[in-house]
Amino acid sequence: MSFQRIWAIVLRYCYYFLRSWDRLTDSVYWPILDITLWGLASKWILTQQEGKVPHLALILLTGVVFWQVVWRGSYEISVNLLEEFWNDNLVNLFATSLTKYEWMAGVMLVGLVKLFLTLVVGIATVWLFYSLNIFVLGWSMLPFVASLLMSGWFVGFFSSGLIIRYGEKIQTLAWVMGWMLAPFSAVFYPLNVLPEWAQVIARCLPTTYVFEGMRQIIANGSPPWDYVLISLGLNVLYLGASVAFFSYMFEQRRWRGLAK
Amino acid sequence: MSAALLQVQSLRKVFPGKPPVVAVDDISFSLGAGEILGLLGPNGAGKTTTIQMLLSTLRSTSGSISYFGMDLERHRSEILKYVGYGSAYAALVWRLSVEENLEIYARLACVPWRERAQRVTALLERFDASSFRKKQMSELSAGQRTRVVLCKVFVGYPKIALLDEPTASLDPDVAHEVRAFVKHQRREYGVSMLYTCHNMAEVEEVCDEVLFLTKGKIIARDTPQALASSIAGTRVRFTASGQGEKLLLWIARHAPGAVVKDEESAEVWTEDEQVPALIESLIKEGLQFSRLSVERASLEDFFLQMTKKQPASPGEAGEAP
Repeated sequence: MSFQRIWAIVLRYCYYFLRSWDRLTDSVYWPILDITLWGLASKWILTQQEGKVPHLALILLTGVVFWQVVWRGSYEISVNLLEEFWNDNLVNLFATSLTKYEWMAGVMLVGLVKLFLTLVVGIATVWLFYSLNIFVLGWSMLPFVASLLMSGWFVGFFSSGLIIRYGEKIQTLAWVMGWMLAPFSAVFYPLNVLPEWAQVIARCLPTTYVFEGMRQIIANGSPPWDYVLISLGLNVLYLGASVAFFSYMFEQRRWRGLAK
Repeated sequence: MSAALLQVQSLRKVFPGKPPVVAVDDISFSLGAGEILGLLGPNGAGKTTTIQMLLSTLRSTSGSISYFGMDLERHRSEILKYVGYGSAYAALVWRLSVEENLEIYARLACVPWRERAQRVTALLERFDASSFRKKQMSELSAGQRTRVVLCKVFVGYPKIALLDEPTASLDPDVAHEVRAFVKHQRREYGVSMLYTCHNMAEVEEVCDEVLFLTKGKIIARDTPQALASSIAGTRVRFTASGQGEKLLLWIARHAPGAVVKDEESAEVWTEDEQVPALIESLIKEGLQFSRLSVERASLEDFFLQMTKKQPASPGEAGEAP
Protein backbone atom coordinates (compact mmCIF):
# COMPACT_ATOMS: atom_id res chain seq x y z
CA MET A 1 0.00 0.00 0.00
CA SER A 2 1.33 3.39 -0.95
CA PHE A 3 -0.11 6.48 0.71
CA GLN A 4 1.06 8.54 -2.27
CA ARG A 5 -1.02 6.45 -4.65
CA ILE A 6 -4.09 6.52 -2.40
CA TRP A 7 -3.73 10.29 -2.12
CA ALA A 8 -3.40 10.54 -5.91
CA ILE A 9 -6.78 8.80 -6.23
CA VAL A 10 -8.34 11.07 -3.59
CA LEU A 11 -7.06 14.11 -5.45
CA ARG A 12 -8.25 12.74 -8.80
CA TYR A 13 -11.86 12.50 -7.56
CA CYS A 14 -11.75 15.69 -5.52
CA TYR A 15 -10.54 17.76 -8.46
CA TYR A 16 -13.28 16.28 -10.62
CA PHE A 17 -15.88 16.79 -7.89
CA LEU A 18 -15.06 20.49 -7.56
CA ARG A 19 -15.37 21.00 -11.31
CA SER A 20 -18.45 18.87 -11.77
CA TRP A 21 -21.94 20.24 -11.30
CA ASP A 22 -23.30 16.70 -11.44
CA ARG A 23 -21.39 15.55 -8.40
CA LEU A 24 -22.10 18.74 -6.46
CA THR A 25 -25.79 18.37 -7.24
CA ASP A 26 -25.80 14.74 -6.17
CA SER A 27 -24.32 15.71 -2.84
CA VAL A 28 -26.67 18.59 -2.05
CA TYR A 29 -29.75 18.77 -4.26
CA TRP A 30 -31.23 15.28 -3.90
CA PRO A 31 -31.04 15.09 -0.10
CA ILE A 32 -32.67 18.53 0.19
CA LEU A 33 -35.36 17.56 -2.30
CA ASP A 34 -36.19 14.29 -0.57
CA ILE A 35 -36.32 15.92 2.86
CA THR A 36 -38.60 18.68 1.53
CA LEU A 37 -40.99 16.33 -0.29
CA TRP A 38 -41.36 13.70 2.39
CA GLY A 39 -41.20 16.24 5.21
CA LEU A 40 -44.19 18.10 3.76
CA ALA A 41 -46.04 14.82 3.12
CA SER A 42 -45.42 13.75 6.74
CA LYS A 43 -46.57 17.15 8.02
CA TRP A 44 -49.82 16.79 6.07
CA ILE A 45 -50.49 13.28 7.37
CA LEU A 46 -49.78 14.30 10.97
CA THR A 47 -52.23 17.21 10.82
CA GLN A 48 -55.11 14.90 9.77
CA GLN A 49 -57.58 13.51 12.30
CA GLU A 50 -55.75 10.83 14.28
CA GLY A 51 -53.05 10.96 11.63
CA LYS A 52 -55.25 9.07 9.17
CA VAL A 53 -55.76 10.13 5.56
CA PRO A 54 -58.44 8.27 3.55
CA HIS A 55 -56.96 6.52 0.50
CA LEU A 56 -53.46 7.59 1.56
CA ALA A 57 -51.65 4.75 -0.21
CA LEU A 58 -53.55 5.34 -3.44
CA ILE A 59 -52.88 9.09 -3.26
CA LEU A 60 -49.17 8.59 -2.70
CA LEU A 61 -48.75 5.88 -5.33
CA THR A 62 -50.82 7.78 -7.89
CA GLY A 63 -48.54 10.73 -7.19
CA VAL A 64 -45.46 8.57 -7.73
CA VAL A 65 -46.74 7.05 -10.98
CA PHE A 66 -48.06 10.28 -12.45
CA TRP A 67 -45.04 12.33 -11.47
CA GLN A 68 -43.12 9.92 -13.67
CA VAL A 69 -45.09 11.33 -16.61
CA VAL A 70 -43.68 14.80 -15.96
CA TRP A 71 -40.21 13.60 -15.20
CA ARG A 72 -39.95 11.12 -18.07
CA GLY A 73 -41.39 13.68 -20.49
CA SER A 74 -38.70 16.15 -19.49
CA TYR A 75 -35.93 13.59 -19.20
CA GLU A 76 -36.55 12.11 -22.65
CA ILE A 77 -36.08 15.47 -24.32
CA SER A 78 -32.97 16.60 -22.49
CA VAL A 79 -31.27 13.19 -22.38
CA ASN A 80 -31.89 12.64 -26.09
CA LEU A 81 -30.16 15.94 -26.70
CA LEU A 82 -27.32 14.88 -24.41
CA GLU A 83 -27.07 11.59 -26.33
CA GLU A 84 -26.14 13.63 -29.39
CA PHE A 85 -23.47 15.44 -27.40
CA TRP A 86 -22.11 12.19 -25.98
CA ASN A 87 -22.01 10.62 -29.45
CA ASP A 88 -20.46 13.71 -31.08
CA ASN A 89 -23.39 13.48 -33.44
CA LEU A 90 -24.97 16.91 -33.15
CA VAL A 91 -23.08 18.31 -36.13
CA ASN A 92 -23.90 15.23 -38.22
CA LEU A 93 -27.61 15.65 -37.48
CA PHE A 94 -27.84 19.36 -38.13
CA ALA A 95 -25.56 19.18 -41.16
CA THR A 96 -28.56 17.56 -42.85
CA SER A 97 -31.75 19.31 -43.83
CA LEU A 98 -33.21 18.47 -40.42
CA THR A 99 -34.70 21.56 -38.76
CA LYS A 100 -34.69 22.20 -35.04
CA TYR A 101 -38.50 22.00 -35.01
CA GLU A 102 -38.39 18.57 -36.69
CA TRP A 103 -35.94 17.41 -34.06
CA MET A 104 -38.25 18.72 -31.34
CA ALA A 105 -41.25 16.94 -32.84
CA GLY A 106 -39.23 13.73 -33.07
CA VAL A 107 -38.16 13.73 -29.42
CA MET A 108 -41.72 14.58 -28.32
CA LEU A 109 -43.00 11.53 -30.20
CA VAL A 110 -40.34 9.32 -28.62
CA GLY A 111 -41.39 10.69 -25.22
CA LEU A 112 -45.01 9.82 -25.96
CA VAL A 113 -44.19 6.21 -26.81
CA LYS A 114 -41.95 5.76 -23.78
CA LEU A 115 -44.59 7.37 -21.58
CA PHE A 116 -47.02 4.63 -22.54
CA LEU A 117 -44.47 2.06 -21.40
CA THR A 118 -43.79 3.90 -18.13
CA LEU A 119 -47.50 4.22 -17.33
CA VAL A 120 -48.29 0.60 -18.08
CA VAL A 121 -45.39 -0.62 -15.96
CA GLY A 122 -46.17 1.84 -13.13
CA ILE A 123 -49.89 1.08 -12.97
CA ALA A 124 -49.31 -2.68 -13.23
CA THR A 125 -46.68 -2.59 -10.47
CA VAL A 126 -49.01 -0.70 -8.12
CA TRP A 127 -51.77 -3.22 -8.83
CA LEU A 128 -49.54 -6.27 -8.46
CA PHE A 129 -47.60 -5.18 -5.38
CA TYR A 130 -50.27 -3.25 -3.48
CA SER A 131 -53.59 -4.37 -5.00
CA LEU A 132 -54.46 -0.74 -5.67
CA ASN A 133 -56.14 0.20 -8.92
CA ILE A 134 -55.09 3.56 -10.32
CA PHE A 135 -57.80 3.10 -12.99
CA VAL A 136 -60.22 4.16 -10.28
CA LEU A 137 -59.58 7.60 -11.78
CA GLY A 138 -61.37 6.37 -14.91
CA TRP A 139 -61.14 7.99 -18.33
CA SER A 140 -60.93 11.40 -16.72
CA MET A 141 -57.31 10.43 -16.09
CA LEU A 142 -56.47 10.95 -19.77
CA PRO A 143 -56.64 14.76 -19.92
CA PHE A 144 -54.66 14.87 -16.69
CA VAL A 145 -51.99 12.62 -18.18
CA ALA A 146 -51.92 14.71 -21.36
CA SER A 147 -51.48 17.82 -19.29
CA LEU A 148 -48.67 16.27 -17.25
CA LEU A 149 -46.91 15.19 -20.42
CA MET A 150 -47.08 18.75 -21.74
CA SER A 151 -45.56 19.89 -18.45
CA GLY A 152 -42.75 17.39 -18.92
CA TRP A 153 -42.15 18.71 -22.41
CA PHE A 154 -41.99 22.34 -21.37
CA VAL A 155 -39.53 21.53 -18.60
CA GLY A 156 -37.55 19.38 -21.05
CA PHE A 157 -37.29 22.10 -23.68
CA PHE A 158 -36.33 24.64 -21.07
CA SER A 159 -33.52 22.49 -19.68
CA SER A 160 -32.49 21.44 -23.21
CA GLY A 161 -32.30 25.10 -24.19
CA LEU A 162 -29.81 25.67 -21.40
CA ILE A 163 -27.90 22.47 -22.23
CA ILE A 164 -27.58 23.26 -25.92
CA ARG A 165 -26.38 26.75 -25.08
CA TYR A 166 -23.90 25.85 -22.35
CA GLY A 167 -23.07 22.27 -23.28
CA GLU A 168 -22.52 19.07 -21.35
CA LYS A 169 -21.06 20.81 -18.32
CA ILE A 170 -24.61 21.48 -17.12
CA GLN A 171 -25.95 18.06 -18.15
CA THR A 172 -27.19 17.51 -14.61
CA LEU A 173 -30.13 19.76 -15.50
CA ALA A 174 -31.57 16.83 -17.45
CA TRP A 175 -32.17 15.02 -14.14
CA VAL A 176 -32.61 17.97 -11.82
CA MET A 177 -34.91 20.37 -13.62
CA GLY A 178 -38.09 18.27 -13.60
CA TRP A 179 -37.80 17.47 -9.92
CA MET A 180 -37.39 21.17 -9.09
CA LEU A 181 -41.10 21.57 -9.67
CA ALA A 182 -42.08 18.59 -7.54
CA PRO A 183 -42.22 20.28 -4.11
CA PHE A 184 -44.34 23.10 -5.56
CA SER A 185 -46.62 20.80 -7.56
CA ALA A 186 -48.27 19.28 -4.48
CA VAL A 187 -47.63 15.79 -5.78
CA PHE A 188 -47.84 13.94 -2.47
CA TYR A 189 -49.74 16.46 -0.31
CA PRO A 190 -52.39 19.14 -0.83
CA LEU A 191 -51.54 22.68 -1.82
CA ASN A 192 -52.42 24.17 1.57
CA VAL A 193 -49.56 22.26 3.23
CA LEU A 194 -47.10 24.54 1.46
CA PRO A 195 -46.11 27.87 3.02
CA GLU A 196 -47.91 30.93 1.60
CA TRP A 197 -45.05 32.06 -0.65
CA ALA A 198 -44.71 28.57 -2.09
CA GLN A 199 -48.45 28.39 -2.76
CA VAL A 200 -48.13 31.47 -4.98
CA ILE A 201 -45.53 29.63 -7.08
CA ALA A 202 -47.59 26.45 -7.00
CA ARG A 203 -50.66 28.20 -8.43
CA CYS A 204 -48.59 29.25 -11.44
CA LEU A 205 -47.72 25.62 -12.21
CA PRO A 206 -50.00 23.45 -14.36
CA THR A 207 -48.89 20.33 -12.48
CA THR A 208 -50.42 21.59 -9.21
CA TYR A 209 -53.93 21.59 -10.72
CA VAL A 210 -53.46 18.06 -12.01
CA PHE A 211 -52.41 16.58 -8.67
CA GLU A 212 -55.04 18.57 -6.75
CA GLY A 213 -57.60 17.33 -9.28
CA MET A 214 -56.47 13.72 -8.94
CA ARG A 215 -56.84 13.83 -5.17
CA GLN A 216 -60.36 15.20 -5.64
CA ILE A 217 -61.28 12.33 -7.95
CA ILE A 218 -59.92 9.79 -5.46
CA ALA A 219 -61.81 11.50 -2.63
CA ASN A 220 -65.20 12.04 -4.23
CA GLY A 221 -65.05 10.52 -7.72
CA SER A 222 -65.90 13.68 -9.68
CA PRO A 223 -63.24 15.17 -11.98
CA PRO A 224 -62.70 18.93 -11.51
CA TRP A 225 -62.82 20.02 -15.14
CA ASP A 226 -61.96 23.61 -14.28
CA TYR A 227 -58.59 22.32 -12.98
CA VAL A 228 -58.05 20.41 -16.21
CA LEU A 229 -58.71 23.54 -18.26
CA ILE A 230 -56.46 25.76 -16.16
CA SER A 231 -53.71 23.16 -16.30
CA LEU A 232 -53.96 22.72 -20.07
CA GLY A 233 -54.10 26.48 -20.60
CA LEU A 234 -50.96 27.06 -18.53
CA ASN A 235 -49.22 24.20 -20.31
CA VAL A 236 -49.99 25.63 -23.75
CA LEU A 237 -48.53 28.93 -22.60
CA TYR A 238 -45.41 27.44 -21.02
CA LEU A 239 -44.81 24.92 -23.79
CA GLY A 240 -44.98 27.69 -26.38
CA ALA A 241 -42.55 29.76 -24.34
CA SER A 242 -40.14 26.86 -23.81
CA VAL A 243 -40.14 25.99 -27.53
CA ALA A 244 -39.32 29.63 -28.30
CA PHE A 245 -36.63 29.56 -25.59
CA PHE A 246 -35.06 26.38 -26.99
CA SER A 247 -35.13 27.83 -30.48
CA TYR A 248 -33.44 31.02 -29.26
CA MET A 249 -30.77 29.13 -27.33
CA PHE A 250 -30.14 26.84 -30.32
CA GLU A 251 -29.45 29.92 -32.45
CA GLN A 252 -27.20 31.32 -29.73
CA ARG A 253 -25.27 28.05 -29.76
CA ARG A 254 -24.81 28.32 -33.50
CA TRP A 255 -22.71 31.44 -32.93
CA ARG A 256 -20.28 29.24 -31.05
CA GLY A 257 -20.85 26.18 -33.23
CA LEU A 258 -22.74 22.94 -32.70
CA ALA A 259 -19.49 21.00 -32.61
CA LYS A 260 -18.07 20.36 -29.15
CA MET B 1 -14.92 26.97 -65.25
CA SER B 2 -18.46 25.71 -64.81
CA ALA B 3 -21.16 27.69 -63.00
CA ALA B 4 -20.54 27.95 -59.26
CA LEU B 5 -22.69 25.68 -57.10
CA LEU B 6 -21.22 27.13 -53.95
CA GLN B 7 -20.29 30.77 -53.62
CA VAL B 8 -18.59 32.14 -50.53
CA GLN B 9 -18.24 35.87 -50.25
CA SER B 10 -16.16 37.81 -47.68
CA LEU B 11 -16.75 35.15 -45.03
CA ARG B 12 -15.46 36.04 -41.61
CA LYS B 13 -15.69 34.41 -38.20
CA VAL B 14 -14.54 36.03 -35.01
CA PHE B 15 -14.93 34.13 -31.76
CA PRO B 16 -15.43 36.49 -28.83
CA GLY B 17 -12.84 36.48 -26.10
CA LYS B 18 -9.99 38.47 -24.70
CA PRO B 19 -8.58 39.02 -27.22
CA PRO B 20 -11.17 37.94 -29.84
CA VAL B 21 -10.00 35.12 -32.10
CA VAL B 22 -10.26 35.70 -35.83
CA ALA B 23 -10.71 32.14 -37.08
CA VAL B 24 -11.68 32.97 -40.66
CA ASP B 25 -10.74 36.31 -42.10
CA ASP B 26 -12.61 37.59 -45.11
CA ILE B 27 -12.37 34.63 -47.45
CA SER B 28 -14.11 34.32 -50.80
CA PHE B 29 -14.16 31.36 -53.14
CA SER B 30 -16.45 29.32 -55.31
CA LEU B 31 -16.92 25.68 -56.14
CA GLY B 32 -18.00 24.73 -59.64
CA ALA B 33 -20.09 21.77 -60.77
CA GLY B 34 -18.01 18.59 -60.70
CA GLU B 35 -15.04 20.36 -59.19
CA ILE B 36 -12.95 18.96 -56.33
CA LEU B 37 -11.45 21.77 -54.33
CA GLY B 38 -8.86 21.00 -51.67
CA LEU B 39 -8.82 23.03 -48.49
CA LEU B 40 -5.34 22.98 -47.07
CA GLY B 41 -3.59 24.66 -44.23
CA PRO B 42 -1.87 23.97 -40.95
CA ASN B 43 -3.79 23.16 -37.77
CA GLY B 44 -5.76 26.19 -36.66
CA ALA B 45 -5.80 27.70 -40.16
CA GLY B 46 -9.61 27.87 -40.20
CA LYS B 47 -10.47 24.84 -42.37
CA THR B 48 -12.89 23.19 -39.96
CA THR B 49 -14.42 26.54 -38.99
CA THR B 50 -15.03 27.22 -42.68
CA ILE B 51 -16.66 23.82 -43.18
CA GLN B 52 -18.86 24.29 -40.12
CA MET B 53 -20.05 27.62 -41.53
CA LEU B 54 -20.71 25.97 -44.90
CA LEU B 55 -22.98 23.53 -43.06
CA SER B 56 -24.63 26.32 -41.07
CA THR B 57 -23.80 24.55 -37.82
CA LEU B 58 -21.75 27.65 -37.07
CA ARG B 59 -22.89 31.18 -37.81
CA SER B 60 -20.52 33.52 -39.55
CA THR B 61 -19.74 36.94 -38.14
CA SER B 62 -20.14 38.45 -41.61
CA GLY B 63 -20.14 37.51 -45.26
CA SER B 64 -22.42 35.27 -47.25
CA ILE B 65 -22.67 31.65 -48.35
CA SER B 66 -24.90 30.60 -51.20
CA TYR B 67 -25.51 27.21 -52.76
CA PHE B 68 -27.25 26.78 -56.11
CA GLY B 69 -27.85 30.55 -56.08
CA MET B 70 -29.74 30.41 -52.75
CA ASP B 71 -28.63 32.00 -49.51
CA LEU B 72 -27.73 29.31 -46.94
CA GLU B 73 -29.16 31.10 -43.93
CA ARG B 74 -32.54 31.60 -45.61
CA HIS B 75 -32.83 28.28 -47.43
CA ARG B 76 -30.85 26.03 -45.12
CA SER B 77 -33.13 23.01 -45.11
CA GLU B 78 -33.72 23.08 -48.86
CA ILE B 79 -29.99 23.40 -49.60
CA LEU B 80 -28.69 20.79 -47.17
CA LYS B 81 -30.78 18.07 -48.83
CA TYR B 82 -28.13 18.17 -51.53
CA VAL B 83 -25.06 18.51 -49.36
CA GLY B 84 -23.27 15.52 -47.86
CA TYR B 85 -20.89 15.96 -44.97
CA GLY B 86 -18.42 13.59 -43.42
CA SER B 87 -15.59 14.03 -41.01
CA ALA B 88 -13.28 11.41 -39.66
CA TYR B 89 -13.79 13.15 -36.33
CA ALA B 90 -17.59 13.44 -36.18
CA ALA B 91 -18.74 10.01 -35.12
CA LEU B 92 -22.14 8.49 -35.71
CA VAL B 93 -24.31 7.02 -32.97
CA TRP B 94 -22.15 4.48 -31.13
CA ARG B 95 -24.84 2.13 -29.91
CA LEU B 96 -26.58 1.83 -33.27
CA SER B 97 -25.49 -0.61 -35.92
CA VAL B 98 -23.88 0.54 -39.14
CA GLU B 99 -27.08 -0.27 -41.00
CA GLU B 100 -29.30 1.60 -38.54
CA ASN B 101 -27.09 4.68 -38.67
CA LEU B 102 -27.15 4.71 -42.46
CA GLU B 103 -30.91 4.15 -42.56
CA ILE B 104 -31.38 7.21 -40.35
CA TYR B 105 -29.19 9.39 -42.56
CA ALA B 106 -30.89 8.08 -45.70
CA ARG B 107 -34.22 9.14 -44.18
CA LEU B 108 -32.81 12.52 -43.13
CA ALA B 109 -31.72 12.99 -46.74
CA CYS B 110 -35.25 12.05 -47.86
CA VAL B 111 -34.09 9.08 -49.95
CA PRO B 112 -37.29 7.41 -51.26
CA TRP B 113 -38.14 4.28 -49.25
CA ARG B 114 -37.95 2.02 -52.31
CA GLU B 115 -34.31 2.95 -52.90
CA ARG B 116 -33.16 3.22 -49.31
CA ALA B 117 -32.08 -0.35 -48.56
CA GLN B 118 -30.58 -0.77 -52.02
CA ARG B 119 -28.59 2.46 -51.69
CA VAL B 120 -27.22 1.50 -48.29
CA THR B 121 -26.24 -1.97 -49.53
CA ALA B 122 -24.55 -0.59 -52.65
CA LEU B 123 -22.48 1.87 -50.62
CA LEU B 124 -21.51 -0.70 -48.01
CA GLU B 125 -20.34 -3.01 -50.78
CA ARG B 126 -18.45 -0.21 -52.47
CA PHE B 127 -16.54 0.56 -49.29
CA ASP B 128 -16.04 -3.09 -48.43
CA ALA B 129 -18.15 -2.62 -45.31
CA SER B 130 -20.88 -5.23 -45.81
CA SER B 131 -19.26 -7.67 -43.42
CA PHE B 132 -19.81 -5.37 -40.44
CA ARG B 133 -23.15 -3.83 -41.38
CA LYS B 134 -24.86 -5.42 -38.36
CA LYS B 135 -22.17 -4.35 -35.89
CA GLN B 136 -22.55 -1.39 -33.58
CA MET B 137 -20.37 1.63 -34.34
CA SER B 138 -18.65 1.19 -30.98
CA GLU B 139 -17.36 -2.21 -32.08
CA LEU B 140 -15.63 -0.92 -35.21
CA SER B 141 -12.01 0.02 -35.75
CA ALA B 142 -11.15 3.61 -36.66
CA GLY B 143 -10.75 2.64 -40.31
CA GLN B 144 -14.10 0.85 -40.41
CA ARG B 145 -15.83 3.86 -38.83
CA THR B 146 -14.29 6.16 -41.43
CA ARG B 147 -15.72 3.94 -44.19
CA VAL B 148 -19.18 4.12 -42.63
CA VAL B 149 -18.91 7.89 -42.41
CA LEU B 150 -18.13 7.95 -46.14
CA CYS B 151 -21.21 5.84 -46.82
CA LYS B 152 -23.19 8.38 -44.82
CA VAL B 153 -21.85 11.27 -46.92
CA PHE B 154 -23.05 9.74 -50.17
CA VAL B 155 -26.20 7.97 -49.01
CA GLY B 156 -28.42 10.94 -49.93
CA TYR B 157 -27.11 11.42 -53.51
CA PRO B 158 -25.46 14.78 -52.68
CA LYS B 159 -24.61 17.33 -55.33
CA ILE B 160 -21.90 18.72 -53.08
CA ALA B 161 -19.86 16.75 -50.56
CA LEU B 162 -17.87 18.39 -47.81
CA LEU B 163 -15.21 15.89 -46.80
CA ASP B 164 -13.09 16.59 -43.75
CA GLU B 165 -10.08 14.25 -43.87
CA PRO B 166 -12.02 11.39 -45.45
CA THR B 167 -9.09 8.98 -45.54
CA ALA B 168 -7.75 9.61 -42.05
CA SER B 169 -6.94 6.33 -40.29
CA LEU B 170 -7.56 4.19 -43.38
CA ASP B 171 -5.21 1.49 -44.62
CA PRO B 172 -3.50 2.46 -47.90
CA ASP B 173 -5.58 0.02 -49.96
CA VAL B 174 -8.88 1.30 -48.54
CA ALA B 175 -7.70 4.91 -48.88
CA HIS B 176 -6.97 4.14 -52.53
CA GLU B 177 -10.47 2.71 -52.90
CA VAL B 178 -11.93 5.87 -51.33
CA ARG B 179 -10.02 8.11 -53.71
CA ALA B 180 -11.22 6.04 -56.63
CA PHE B 181 -14.79 6.34 -55.36
CA VAL B 182 -14.51 10.09 -54.91
CA LYS B 183 -13.24 10.48 -58.47
CA HIS B 184 -15.96 8.16 -59.74
CA GLN B 185 -18.67 10.22 -58.01
CA ARG B 186 -17.36 13.32 -59.70
CA ARG B 187 -16.97 11.67 -63.10
CA GLU B 188 -20.30 9.83 -63.17
CA TYR B 189 -22.58 12.09 -61.16
CA GLY B 190 -20.81 15.44 -61.29
CA VAL B 191 -20.62 15.65 -57.50
CA SER B 192 -18.61 18.69 -56.41
CA MET B 193 -16.42 18.35 -53.36
CA LEU B 194 -14.59 20.38 -50.83
CA TYR B 195 -11.81 18.21 -49.49
CA THR B 196 -9.56 18.71 -46.51
CA CYS B 197 -6.69 16.34 -46.03
CA HIS B 198 -3.23 16.21 -44.51
CA ASN B 199 -1.93 13.80 -47.11
CA MET B 200 -0.49 16.04 -49.82
CA ALA B 201 0.00 13.25 -52.33
CA GLU B 202 -3.70 12.49 -52.01
CA VAL B 203 -4.63 16.13 -52.55
CA GLU B 204 -2.43 16.21 -55.64
CA GLU B 205 -4.16 13.10 -56.93
CA VAL B 206 -7.75 14.05 -56.20
CA CYS B 207 -8.13 17.82 -56.22
CA ASP B 208 -8.49 20.05 -59.26
CA GLU B 209 -7.54 23.09 -57.28
CA VAL B 210 -6.34 23.86 -53.81
CA LEU B 211 -7.19 26.73 -51.46
CA PHE B 212 -4.42 27.32 -49.01
CA LEU B 213 -5.43 28.87 -45.72
CA THR B 214 -3.19 30.30 -43.04
CA LYS B 215 -4.45 32.14 -39.98
CA GLY B 216 -7.92 32.30 -41.46
CA LYS B 217 -6.88 33.84 -44.76
CA ILE B 218 -6.65 32.33 -48.21
CA ILE B 219 -3.08 32.89 -49.27
CA ALA B 220 -3.13 30.85 -52.46
CA ARG B 221 -5.55 29.20 -54.87
CA ASP B 222 -4.31 27.20 -57.80
CA THR B 223 -3.90 23.69 -59.12
CA PRO B 224 -1.73 21.45 -56.92
CA GLN B 225 0.86 21.31 -59.72
CA ALA B 226 1.00 25.08 -60.07
CA LEU B 227 1.33 25.57 -56.32
CA ALA B 228 4.14 23.03 -56.20
CA SER B 229 5.95 24.61 -59.11
CA SER B 230 5.71 28.01 -57.43
CA ILE B 231 8.54 26.73 -55.24
CA ALA B 232 11.62 27.49 -57.26
CA GLY B 233 14.37 24.96 -57.60
CA THR B 234 15.04 21.29 -57.40
CA ARG B 235 15.77 19.11 -54.44
CA VAL B 236 18.75 16.79 -54.52
CA ARG B 237 18.79 14.11 -51.84
CA PHE B 238 21.60 11.69 -51.33
CA THR B 239 23.01 9.22 -48.89
CA ALA B 240 26.74 8.60 -48.61
CA SER B 241 27.02 5.69 -46.23
CA GLY B 242 29.92 5.77 -43.79
CA GLN B 243 31.34 9.02 -45.21
CA GLY B 244 30.08 11.51 -42.65
CA GLU B 245 33.26 13.56 -42.48
CA LYS B 246 33.61 13.83 -46.24
CA LEU B 247 29.95 14.81 -46.45
CA LEU B 248 30.36 17.67 -43.98
CA LEU B 249 33.46 18.83 -45.83
CA TRP B 250 31.58 18.83 -49.11
CA ILE B 251 28.71 20.78 -47.57
CA ALA B 252 31.10 23.39 -46.19
CA ARG B 253 32.70 23.83 -49.61
CA HIS B 254 29.83 23.50 -52.05
CA ALA B 255 26.45 23.71 -50.36
CA PRO B 256 26.36 25.65 -47.10
CA GLY B 257 22.56 25.70 -47.33
CA ALA B 258 22.23 21.92 -47.28
CA VAL B 259 20.18 20.22 -44.63
CA VAL B 260 21.94 17.26 -43.03
CA LYS B 261 19.30 14.64 -42.28
CA ASP B 262 21.53 12.30 -40.37
CA GLU B 263 25.24 11.53 -40.30
CA GLU B 264 25.29 10.26 -43.86
CA SER B 265 22.32 11.86 -45.67
CA ALA B 266 21.74 15.38 -46.86
CA GLU B 267 19.22 17.40 -48.86
CA VAL B 268 20.05 20.39 -51.00
CA TRP B 269 17.75 22.83 -52.76
CA THR B 270 19.30 24.32 -55.84
CA GLU B 271 18.46 26.06 -59.10
CA ASP B 272 17.52 23.60 -61.85
CA GLU B 273 20.57 24.45 -63.95
CA GLN B 274 22.91 23.96 -60.98
CA VAL B 275 21.99 20.29 -60.51
CA PRO B 276 24.65 18.78 -62.87
CA ALA B 277 27.41 20.89 -61.31
CA LEU B 278 26.30 19.90 -57.84
CA ILE B 279 26.41 16.21 -58.64
CA GLU B 280 29.78 16.62 -60.36
CA SER B 281 31.18 18.27 -57.22
CA LEU B 282 29.99 15.30 -55.15
CA ILE B 283 31.81 12.93 -57.45
CA LYS B 284 34.93 15.05 -57.49
CA GLU B 285 34.93 15.09 -53.70
CA GLY B 286 35.09 11.30 -53.80
CA LEU B 287 31.73 10.78 -52.15
CA GLN B 288 30.08 7.50 -53.07
CA PHE B 289 26.32 7.53 -52.75
CA SER B 290 24.15 4.61 -51.93
CA ARG B 291 21.11 6.73 -52.91
CA LEU B 292 20.66 9.82 -55.02
CA SER B 293 17.38 11.47 -56.03
CA VAL B 294 16.59 14.64 -57.94
CA GLU B 295 13.04 15.90 -57.41
CA ARG B 296 10.89 18.81 -58.40
CA ALA B 297 9.09 20.57 -55.53
CA SER B 298 5.87 18.89 -54.45
CA LEU B 299 2.69 20.21 -52.86
CA GLU B 300 4.13 19.13 -49.54
CA ASP B 301 7.10 21.42 -50.13
CA PHE B 302 4.67 24.22 -50.85
CA PHE B 303 2.80 23.41 -47.65
CA LEU B 304 6.00 23.43 -45.62
CA GLN B 305 7.14 26.64 -47.23
CA MET B 306 3.84 28.34 -46.49
CA THR B 307 3.87 27.17 -42.92
CA LYS B 308 7.50 28.26 -42.58
CA LYS B 309 8.86 24.82 -41.94
CA GLN B 310 10.89 24.66 -45.11
CA PRO B 311 14.26 26.23 -44.48
CA ALA B 312 16.37 25.37 -47.45
CA SER B 313 14.96 26.68 -50.71
CA PRO B 314 17.68 28.26 -52.86
CA GLY B 315 19.28 31.26 -51.33
CA GLU B 316 18.07 30.56 -47.80
CA ALA B 317 20.18 29.45 -44.90
CA GLY B 318 19.96 25.82 -43.95
CA GLU B 319 18.88 24.42 -40.63
CA ALA B 320 21.66 23.47 -38.31
CA PRO B 321 22.24 19.74 -38.32
